Amino acid sequence: MSDPVSLTTEHPGQVASATPPAPGRSSRLSDRWLTVAFTSPALLLLLAMSVFPLLWALYLSFTDYSATRGGPAHFVGFENYTAILTSAQVHQRALTTLIYVVGAVTLQTVLGFAIAYLISRRTHGRGLLTTLFLVPMMLSPVVVGLFWRFMLDAQFGVINSMLGSLGLEQVEWLTRQRTALISLIVVDTWQWTPFIMLIALAGLTAVPKYLYEAAAIDRASEWFRFRTITLPLVWPLLLIAVLFRAIEAFRLFDLVYILTSGGPGVSTETLSFHVYKVAFLGFNTGTASAYGILMVLVVLVLTQLYLRYLNKLKED
Amino acid sequence: MRYPKRVGRLSVPRRTVRLATAAMLVATTMAACGQDDGEKASAPKAPATIPELTKDPLTLSFIWFDWPPAHALETFANAEYAKERSNVTIKVNTVPNANWHDAIFTQFAARKTDFDIPILDSQHIGEAVTNGNILDITDFVKKNIDVKAYNPYLLAAYGQFPQAETGKRDENASLYGLPLLGDTWTMIYRKDLIGDEPPQTWDEMISVAEKCQADNPGVSGLAFHQANGSDAAAVTYNTVNGVYGGNLWDPKTRKIDGVLNDAAGQEAMDVLVNKMKPLTATGSGNWFIDEVNAAVAQGKACIAFNWIAASGGLLDPKQSTLGTTREQILDKLGFATLPSQKTNLVPLGGMGMHVSAYSSEPNQAEALNFMKWFERADIQKKWAAAGGVPSRTDALESPEFLNAGPFNQVYTDSVPRMRDMWNVPEYARLVDIENTNVNAALNGAKKPKDALDDIAKEQQGVLDSSGRKGGGGL
Repeated sequence: MSDPVSLTTEHPGQVASATPPAPGRSSRLSDRWLTVAFTSPALLLLLAMSVFPLLWALYLSFTDYSATRGGPAHFVGFENYTAILTSAQVHQRALTTLIYVVGAVTLQTVLGFAIAYLISRRTHGRGLLTTLFLVPMMLSPVVVGLFWRFMLDAQFGVINSMLGSLGLEQVEWLTRQRTALISLIVVDTWQWTPFIMLIALAGLTAVPKYLYEAAAIDRASEWFRFRTITLPLVWPLLLIAVLFRAIEAFRLFDLVYILTSGGPGVSTETLSFHVYKVAFLGFNTGTASAYGILMVLVVLVLTQLYLRYLNKLKED
Repeated sequence: MRYPKRVGRLSVPRRTVRLATAAMLVATTMAACGQDDGEKASAPKAPATIPELTKDPLTLSFIWFDWPPAHALETFANAEYAKERSNVTIKVNTVPNANWHDAIFTQFAARKTDFDIPILDSQHIGEAVTNGNILDITDFVKKNIDVKAYNPYLLAAYGQFPQAETGKRDENASLYGLPLLGDTWTMIYRKDLIGDEPPQTWDEMISVAEKCQADNPGVSGLAFHQANGSDAAAVTYNTVNGVYGGNLWDPKTRKIDGVLNDAAGQEAMDVLVNKMKPLTATGSGNWFIDEVNAAVAQGKACIAFNWIAASGGLLDPKQSTLGTTREQILDKLGFATLPSQKTNLVPLGGMGMHVSAYSSEPNQAEALNFMKWFERADIQKKWAAAGGVPSRTDALESPEFLNAGPFNQVYTDSVPRMRDMWNVPEYARLVDIENTNVNAALNGAKKPKDALDDIAKEQQGVLDSSGRKGGGGL
């Protein structure tokens, strides 16, 4: 029998092996089963709350089922999908959504990055500034919508009041076709620019200092440093922020509901708002399910393309 | 020593994954197959006689939208009904107006409701009856309600399905509700700006408003509902349509295209967009009940149109800049029936009360008892004195009602002139089409003629496609 002391001294890394082996576990408690046991509650929750409803919606999308009318769900094949894809109304809402997503996300990215860049260059009060900028993001979209609705009111709103004091004419922010969508973009930008700013700030902070020091030794200009060091290193992170914001903006509902109700007419009705009307005004559950599935597919396909671009960017 | 086995992926066998996926699909399919019994839904019948009432504490829940009459009802019912049923508490749950239909019908869809008495707009009855969501109370009404005490059209509008012909009641049709709150539009005018006598015709009203606006800078000639939520802009167009001799549809042939957008309909749209809209305040294209009231209370409108049941706040000095007392405000504000033109039609507002088919039996019995109590002559007069708008003719002509508010006489005078919209299961979609298009025309997003033609075409499409399989609801 070997001496346990000498073993410990010479091979400190093997102390554990010197202790007597744990009593043998039942074969039922193998690593595999332990893994399954620990992950299954989360998996079951995921199945119940996400996967099952998705499959259920997928099934309903091939039927003429209506939640209020009840009765059996008749199989209608791809009729719901055909109706949606060929509907002029849907095309109009898709265009509105596209303009909104591109407008809002572009504005938020430019502003968010600019603010982050300016904050990152400050040495004093950086934390306080960041916290202040983050406040809009913490508010509920419904609350944001309500107070912007008051601010943008043509008669009693503070925005028109300020314009009036500057001698400018009143603007119908929420009731004219041209201004209503712009108002939505502005309000969304006010609320979500901080999100882009936060991600961009994280990226900017992570850029190694020695790169700037090396550039400074080479007497590189400010613009050159920004173009060749800052932007390329922050770009992938910024693109991820853009992806998140684009997905969020694509399914915009609450601000539209509170600020314009889709009006004037249907000029600010987004796809999500239209789905809501199909689902809860007409209670055409089958059609609404197909509409939802198509929206998920669009997001999935675009996200995949985007991620591939990101991966390529990483490899390059 | 045991080293943890390094695994690149979760070592759940593929077979297990396949089995789990298969189980999910089977569960989905089984749930799909077992969801319905395949029978066409229809409204269940309430008993003719009220079953024995419980002596245990019970809460009778209503659902309505958030406005003064809802709060008045809760206060009134708890004060008065408790005198006869001390174990019962009345709770009137409220939701924002824009969510009113959704809040009720999503619960109906779940076949489970947290309310016993839904307060439905008259046009919602068709949808609720067809889906079997509310009780058929025909036998109950025959045995417990004095139907001759009502204007027949009021009884029909808040309870009958299929829809009654305007102004009449089909005594053979089934009843699914009883009147809770009557309502119509009143014309609110500034006596100090346009004189004590209200305009008598629609054309006169427009010219008076035009002159008033020109003479009083900062005050707009008109204020009315234009929003694209709820039924705001739709009711406005329907009112003008009725006054100018138009029709919303032909209910017998279910024809809208060619009826709504005929010459009278086009004239009404032209009057609304080209003559009335220019007399409204800038940015009023999303105004509804509250905004119109605010404009009147702040002295910003010469003539306004609003629902009578929502007009009480106008007399509150705390909310008004027109005077520091009710009397001072009434020196400036007048209330009149709507001007007539080719016809004297006015919009039917108000709501009926119904019994949820998914409520428990004791609560359904209590709901029926409440309805019987509420429709009694003495209670209707008390409801009138408490600020409600009753429906029994004796209550409408009683001093309790006529003296309770300056606009109550307007309601009593308007009852024989009322016209309702379509009371069909497709109502929610029809009104949305009309709302969005009228709102678009009022705000310059569509030409008036195009908007009206689009309404007619799209609404006809909805009626024609009802019952069609697949792709509905777009």
